[in-house]
Amino acid sequence: MIELDGITKTYTKGTVTTQVLKGISFRIEAGEYTSIMGTSGTGKSTLMNILGCLDKPTSGHYHLDGIDMINLDDRALSQLRNRKIGFVFQQFHLLDRTTALRNCLLPLIYADHYPDDAHKRAKKALEAVGLSDRIMHRSGELSGGQQQRVAIARALITDPEIILADEPTGNLDERSGLEIMAIFKRMHSSHKTIIMVTHDQKVAEQADRIIVLKDGLVAEDRKTARSRHSEIEHQEMADKERRK
Amino acid sequence: MRSIRIAREGMSALWANKLRTFFMTAGTIAGIAALTIIMSIGKGVEKKVAKRVASFGYDVIMVTAGGGKGFSPPQEGITTLRMEDAEAIREQVQGIEIVSPFAIKRDMAVKSGSNRQSASDQTQTIVMAGEPSFHKAWGWYPEGDPITDEDEATMARVCVLGKNLVRDLFGTENAGSVIGEYIQINNIRFKVKGILETRGQSPMGDDFDSRLLIPLSTGLRRTFNQDYITNIRVKVKDPGQLVPLGDEIRNLLHERHHITPPQEDDFAIFSAAEIAKMARGVGRTLTILLVALAGLSLLVGGVVLMNILLISVGERTKEIGLRRALGATRKDILWQFLAESLAVTFLGMVLGGSFGLGVCLFLGKFTKVPMALSWEPFALGLFFAFIVGILFGNQPARAASRLHPVEALR
Repeated sequence: MIELDGITKTYTKGTVTTQVLKGISFRIEAGEYTSIMGTSGTGKSTLMNILGCLDKPTSGHYHLDGIDMINLDDRALSQLRNRKIGFVFQQFHLLDRTTALRNCLLPLIYADHYPDDAHKRAKKALEAVGLSDRIMHRSGELSGGQQQRVAIARALITDPEIILADEPTGNLDERSGLEIMAIFKRMHSSHKTIIMVTHDQKVAEQADRIIVLKDGLVAEDRKTARSRHSEIEHQEMADKERRK
Repeated sequence: MRSIRIAREGMSALWANKLRTFFMTAGTIAGIAALTIIMSIGKGVEKKVAKRVASFGYDVIMVTAGGGKGFSPPQEGITTLRMEDAEAIREQVQGIEIVSPFAIKRDMAVKSGSNRQSASDQTQTIVMAGEPSFHKAWGWYPEGDPITDEDEATMARVCVLGKNLVRDLFGTENAGSVIGEYIQINNIRFKVKGILETRGQSPMGDDFDSRLLIPLSTGLRRTFNQDYITNIRVKVKDPGQLVPLGDEIRNLLHERHHITPPQEDDFAIFSAAEIAKMARGVGRTLTILLVALAGLSLLVGGVVLMNILLISVGERTKEIGLRRALGATRKDILWQFLAESLAVTFLGMVLGGSFGLGVCLFLGKFTKVPMALSWEPFALGLFFAFIVGILFGNQPARAASRLHPVEALR
């Protein structure tokens, strides 16, 4: 569960100060699939960095599972990222000249306890994204879509509650993009909380909820048609149950 | 362990970039190799010096006829050093155990056999003529019989031989078997009384074991035909008194020879310190200089390492940002880069040390360069590797750890 309360972020460069976020408040429940949209320069990335505990807000409060991350030090924040958050980046950010398997294992290096079955877990994670035949391939030998799938497997290996994705399909062709979105849908159905920054309306509509940023503020926060549809389905199912 | 896992990440980064890693190690390899070689040569020189000093004697003052600064064999034709000088030292200087005057002559023709017909090929060697005290003054005793007071009193034509001379003259390794045989020195027949024990190289660099000893009286009157001696070997009671006793002897001889400095001496006085200095030559200063040079090359290697590591940090900002995002703390990043730096210098130490060892073995086997292998250069190399790794890895590692994850991932 994520709770933002009056988050602002100000950058100072020389004498010029720019307020990128001007007071953002919202709440994302566990298991929710949310897209964050907005034109460039509206603070999407800044917000994403704060949500990912990579950066601290200038003011405001951010509770992640009830913990206010404002007060945490470098070590605690790193631990939080390691345990609770899986990152998926637009540029994949795989280690080059390194196999898919080893890329996938990377978060476990920084875990407090390295599991005995780490290799097995990594292989399973890679299988889950359809790369069972690419486990020992180096990242340079993989296509863009395959690289992004390795990155997703890497994000999932610590079994985090939250997946933060920054334009996950931004560098991919349409077909690969669709494959990635399908994987996201599966992650959603296995109750991961997903927050995805995207430009693409079609991609954004895959989520249950869309938050639109404009000039550092939340301009729009709505449920998607898909979500209403699934809610209706849900409702109907419940009604049927009752009628019986 | 977490820190071991992180260090291993550094290792695999090194492995993945072999060429870069090689350039990083090059300086350390050169530095450590140079250090190993130079220190081994230095050790070899010291060992040689110690051997020379030991063969000269730690408690000995040697008076040599003829002036000059270098320790050299007595000059031919210097007639100023006399038996009376030895007597004067014996009587007037306190704290002396033995005063043993002797005369030596180089390039004496020596043959084996009792008469000209049966004589073998002749060889040239150094003949020493000494009193019976010679043996004790030198700590150099024969198998068989030594030179005795009776030999000295009767100018006996007897001799004791060095082992190598026996081999040269008689062609036998069994030195004892020639006792009782005869040799000829300048065609005068001498009976072999004994065989001197092995002594090795003299401080002048020639072979003690190729020399032979005859009674002093015999030498002066029968063989050399002279009334002066060439050396006085003085054995002191307390080695700590070498310097003052040397000065005392010098003053005494000044007086006896009517020399007033700055007038040049017609004799020279040597003891262990001078012998050590001479045997070392410029070796010691050169060694210190070269070690400093090796240290400098290590330092340069360290700077190169630091720069390549800094460049590598710059190239790997994305990797660093990613690691931070995945849960690496600032300290983890610091440690990874420090581990990389240390691994590089340790690798350099191992490669440089092995290379140096190889060169040392080669030089020791195929050249006359003095060489003594020991653990010290390797221990020092390990120490330097550690210091250089920490010292020059520190700044790049700090730079890496200070990168903000957001900036790094951009």
